[in-house]
Amino acid sequence: MTDERGVPRREFLKSAVAIGGAAAFSACLGREEVDVPTGPDDLSSYPQRQHAWNEVLPRDDHGNVIAPSHRLLLYLNYRRDGQPNEDDRDQVETALRGIEHAYERSGIGLLLTVSYSPAYFDRFDESLSEGVDLPDPEALAPFEDPEFDTPDAVVHLASNTAQVVLGAEEALKGNKSTLNGVDQPDVALTDVFSLTDRRTGFIGDGLPAKNAGDAESVPADKVPDDAPLFMGFKSGFKKNQASEDRVTIQSGPFADGTTQHISKLQLNLNQWYNQDDRWQREAKMFCPYHAENDVIEGAGDNLGNSSKIDDCKPTDETAREMGVVGHSQKSARARDDEDSPLILRRDFDSTDGGTASLHFLALQRRITDFVDTREAMNGTDVTEQSAVGQRNNNGILQYIRSERRGNFLVPPRSLRALPPAQPARDAQEVTHESS
Amino acid sequence: MNRRDVLRAVGGTSLVGLAGCAGLFETRSARAPPLPENRPDAVYYPTHYEGMKMPGMKEQGGYRCALTYSYAHRFWLMKPNGITKVEIQPEDSIHLMPVVWETQTGIIPPDINPQLTITQSRDSIDQFAPWPMLSQPMGFHFGDNAQLQSDGTYTVEVSIGGPSTRRTGSLAENQGNASFTFEFEFSESTLNEISYTDIPDDREGTKGAVDLMDMEMLPNSQVPTPNALPGDVRGSGMSGDAKFVVTILEDASRFGGDEEQRYLAVSPRTPYNRTMLPMMSLSGTLHRDGTSVFDGILQATIDPELRYHYGTTVADVQTGDELTITVDSPPQTARHEGYETAFVDMPDVKVTL
Ligand code: HEM
Repeated sequence: MTDERGVPRREFLKSAVAIGGAAAFSACLGREEVDVPTGPDDLSSYPQRQHAWNEVLPRDDHGNVIAPSHRLLLYLNYRRDGQPNEDDRDQVETALRGIEHAYERSGIGLLLTVSYSPAYFDRFDESLSEGVDLPDPEALAPFEDPEFDTPDAVVHLASNTAQVVLGAEEALKGNKSTLNGVDQPDVALTDVFSLTDRRTGFIGDGLPAKNAGDAESVPADKVPDDAPLFMGFKSGFKKNQASEDRVTIQSGPFADGTTQHISKLQLNLNQWYNQDDRWQREAKMFCPYHAENDVIEGAGDNLGNSSKIDDCKPTDETAREMGVVGHSQKSARARDDEDSPLILRRDFDSTDGGTASLHFLALQRRITDFVDTREAMNGTDVTEQSAVGQRNNNGILQYIRSERRGNFLVPPRSLRALPPAQPARDAQEVTHESS
Repeated sequence: MNRRDVLRAVGGTSLVGLAGCAGLFETRSARAPPLPENRPDAVYYPTHYEGMKMPGMKEQGGYRCALTYSYAHRFWLMKPNGITKVEIQPEDSIHLMPVVWETQTGIIPPDINPQLTITQSRDSIDQFAPWPMLSQPMGFHFGDNAQLQSDGTYTVEVSIGGPSTRRTGSLAENQGNASFTFEFEFSESTLNEISYTDIPDDREGTKGAVDLMDMEMLPNSQVPTPNALPGDVRGSGMSGDAKFVVTILEDASRFGGDEEQRYLAVSPRTPYNRTMLPMMSLSGTLHRDGTSVFDGILQATIDPELRYHYGTTVADVQTGDELTITVDSPPQTARHEGYETAFVDMPDVKVTL
């Protein structure tokens, strides 16, 4: 394979996924010494829930799911006007199966979802099946003015192995006749869709510090070496995540599906690391109680399987008396009757465009659940009644800026290839499995 | 003390105007001289003060925005139990201050946090939300140090969103977003034209304040003198070197009450310059003949006449009522030199109405 794009060697080491393409893929093959098992010939045992990742992902000592470290989002437009036809559906399904045969469904192997936007469903005469809450994206704070993503579809590829993400992408583009030793179909996903955007990222201990050099705006040597995210703290504790059950659509033809919100948040790490101190970072990310009582060591692995947010005082009380409230404290106000968070966060950091940002990808049963959570995070109610500002001392709002937002439906696996708006699928009962 | 008095008092060399006169000290180290020793827990004369420049002014959606800048500054961020000093970093080249005000009233709303995007030939240079800040010469403003690598033309976009503090009267109508774009010619030599005024050693660190800058085209962030406040001004008190003026308005309907009710407004301000003190949590109790007739929060509100203040509706107020104002959180604005030790420890204020 030739190094057609002439990518400097230094960049391979840092961000093969960010660069992409055949050259990056082959560089990874040489570097990552892993044998990724191939997937089965018969894929019929694969779960209906495309988002059922937790059962195959490794967990840390505390039982927290370890998020797959390398990520790729392919934003796609359907090449045909109007409604999709069966040939295109077959092609999409065939292309997806090609990469599933090549890599097993696991952390070191490949995890993927395919999702569709409200704009895609506008192609149909009938409206989207009742029971699916998928509005067009909108601004979700008084102080933001994001652009809206309206591609037809988004494919999310995730793996702990960079070459798997890159290899899968190359195969979906029709650039591989064999992948991981497995023959690939003649059809490419990109025959049916055009690629409109490619977003990349990473999450996991040490990766942000390693990638810091790829983004202009990251203060040198400030991101802790072991932090899983740019802002320096561990996120996604078991008890602070919705379960896969909680986010799964329960009935109707799209049962076993979920909705997905993806925003691109630009980070301001200069203020965070060079101006705020550790006390402020802990108070603003978690809550002042945690900062006062030195609850968090380093990135917060010592917290175990929860962010210990129950120890924080009520948000409005903290706002009045301390003049500052924490992001986790505020966001935890959006919980259901069983005290479960409403959203399952599968976000990851990025250096796309040379700036430090975060692709905030969240799954929830209804987009409304995301909107409610974001409203809790905005804390507008708190601002009105206290010294906490619209962004100042208001969790991490000072440091993040919403650049883009998009809403998507992740249909059940059987409908993942160009689903109709009103599938004639037998209404199926969702079986409750714990995740 | 008026402006001329300060100038005489500080005995400055050739202090003519602040904006535009040549800098006296041009080396970087001189811009952050050692802090005065024994700073009082009160507003004090800083080691020096600086002028500023205004590359442009724009208008949109009921707001005006002026882009202003000065030398990079050290400043302090607030914490519940103290302050954090922010040093000038080697890469910081200027202190950038987008001043946004409501066109009709000239009020600078402290709740509308501007967002800055700096680009050069479409390349992203920096983006951040500047901090809400208090400085003696600039008053309340949003600002932060920015990192412009070299002389050149930069595009600075200032965008603002909707408000988050209660607004009353005509101000309640404008809930919109706006965005202002400036072409900004930056050069080190123009920066160095900005005045830098040393304050003599025997004066720095003593109680007092540098006057507000005379910013011809810009509104200031002052609140009205007690005489100019609407309603019946019933008294005032001091806490943490801030002055709290209490006024009672006859008709509370503009503030969510009814005509029969009174509106009790508390208008805190800095000493000397009368700069507003936003972003506090205030609460109050009203006692009459030993029994409590009100106990609750005083909500931050922006009103065209009272301007930024804190208030509540009450059934009525009688002569001799005892008002206790509690500062649950002092102003969470960042502070420039001379303000970082004041408005931090703020005991209750008691006023007999
Ligand atoms: C730069 C962006 C962000 C970072 C670094 C971040 C980080 C964190 C961290 C460290 C926690 C506490 C640990 C944990 O519970 O897992 C947390 C909790 C949480 N965050 Fe974020 N977050 C970000 C943005 C968002 C956004 C945009 C949302 C969406 C509204 C959100 C929603 C939540 C929720 C729901 C929780 C858990 C609350 C609960 O316990 O119920 N976060 N986040």
